[in-house]
Amino acid sequence: MTSSPAAASSPLLEIDSVDKHFGGVAAVSDLTMSVEVGSVAGLMGPNGAGKTTLINLISGLLPSDSGAIRFAGVDIQRSQAHVIAAQGIARTYQNVRLFSGMTVLEQVMAGCYIRRGTSLWASFLGLPKSRTAYKAMERHALELLERVHLGHRAHLLAETLSYGEQRRVEIARALGTNPRLLLLDEPTAGMNVQESSEIGNLVHSLRDGGLTVLMVEHNVRLLKDFCDYVTVMNFGRLLAQGSPSECIAHPDVQAAYFGKSADAERIRARR
Amino acid sequence: MQPLVDFWNAYRSTLTFALVNSFFALSTYAVLSVGILSFATVTFAAFGGFLGVRLVLQTGIDPLLALPAAAAAGALLSYVIALIFLRLESHWMALASLALILITRVLIINVPGTGGVNGLSVPVTLPFFMFALVLLVAIIIFWRLSASWYGIAARAVREDAAVASTLGIAPRRIQTVAFVISGAVGGLGGMLLALALQYLSPDTYFVNIAFTMIAAVVLGGSYHWAGAIIGAAVFTALPVIAQAIIPEFQDVANGVVLLLIMIFLPRGLIDPRAIRLHFAARKAVAQAPRDATSPAAGGAP
Repeated sequence: MTSSPAAASSPLLEIDSVDKHFGGVAAVSDLTMSVEVGSVAGLMGPNGAGKTTLINLISGLLPSDSGAIRFAGVDIQRSQAHVIAAQGIARTYQNVRLFSGMTVLEQVMAGCYIRRGTSLWASFLGLPKSRTAYKAMERHALELLERVHLGHRAHLLAETLSYGEQRRVEIARALGTNPRLLLLDEPTAGMNVQESSEIGNLVHSLRDGGLTVLMVEHNVRLLKDFCDYVTVMNFGRLLAQGSPSECIAHPDVQAAYFGKSADAERIRARR
Repeated sequence: MQPLVDFWNAYRSTLTFALVNSFFALSTYAVLSVGILSFATVTFAAFGGFLGVRLVLQTGIDPLLALPAAAAAGALLSYVIALIFLRLESHWMALASLALILITRVLIINVPGTGGVNGLSVPVTLPFFMFALVLLVAIIIFWRLSASWYGIAARAVREDAAVASTLGIAPRRIQTVAFVISGAVGGLGGMLLALALQYLSPDTYFVNIAFTMIAAVVLGGSYHWAGAIIGAAVFTALPVIAQAIIPEFQDVANGVVLLLIMIFLPRGLIDPRAIRLHFAARKAVAQAPRDATSPAAGGAP
């Protein structure tokens, strides 16, 4: 399909013919896409299309087999996950992965660890400067929680919250790292229409604050309303790229989502 | 007054060993708190113990001065061990640390200066309150660790190392720090054990310490440093108390208690999460009448 309009600056995230195989299965194969600075990019595709694998490749949880992944012009393909996070990529998880036994505020503080602005020694010794920095960071974490409308839940154990609230805690935790690129893996799964729209609005306000967002999403309405452009994957490959309505109307995308007999044959052949 | 004196005379040595075992439990807790099951504490203890005792025998310095040396020796060794062991997956790490204990014993028998199979007598000791004082210092250190940024990072790494890494927390680095803390506290404990026993043999630092300490941390709870200390106290005192009350029960007392704990309190006696949930539940009950009048709140946990 059409590539995004020639941007004046280079894209924030470039994925260049990336491959990832699990044994004989190609989870991601020869995928090329990019995410422009200050945009909300959507990533869609049927189950097993390789969307989460791609997110794992970008965030460094999995090494890719070949190809290149560049973030703000820097090659991050071989970097460790914590280095990638330090460069400004944060993420959430499809199946919410909060830390057990921590309060909501502590989860977000864990996200803020990276920019604590004090050494572990100073923090251990409880030096006044370090304490002030900690207090400031705690206030910042509370602000982030206010942003996802969870300020009143700050001191509860995160695992006692509802599913939708836990997803928002994850977003606040990711924002704690002060990222330039936020990867959201199905942020509205299991949410009702109103909650989904709230997430969409949150994503827009984050973008207006200068953040770039790449979100895996199935909700067609949300993609149409909130994404600037969409990439569609199927069987690890690029299926379509372009504006949300273009992509959703694309016959290949329709076929991938709603099925054709030819697709059924291909799925069977792969098993 | 007399009963108190009697109690003191009868149980002073038990209390001393409870204090010493607290160090081993804390050492085990230090690595468990970042999600690593390691028995290497025994090796750190042996290294710190023998090195500290040799130092005292060779130079005649005050045993109190040998304590920092033992801690430093343990820390140094644990750093080297961490570099090698942190490459291993969790269960292999546990097995490797068990192998390390076996190697340690062979080394103690063969390395000159350790007394070999005959053992080594330790002519010095410390008064009881010094043991307690050193433990107090260790407690302060663990309290500060858990209250600092390290504590947040450690809990994150323990609960989910992959997620922690995507938040910019380097799991390996945090685990290496944990190992060094474990080594320092283990080395310290090793020296204190030497001073309490006043005799060292190749069997002093062996698997029995490892198993007792893992059991102590499981019983006390591996989510808070206080759990390690309480667990160590219970496991030191239990066989002694059992012997005084029902002698036949002594050998199985620890095993039975451990089984009961694992079945009924799998997270141990000191469980911050359970305590928080308990308070949250009480708060919820207290607020229930108010919430009932305003159902708009919705989605209550």
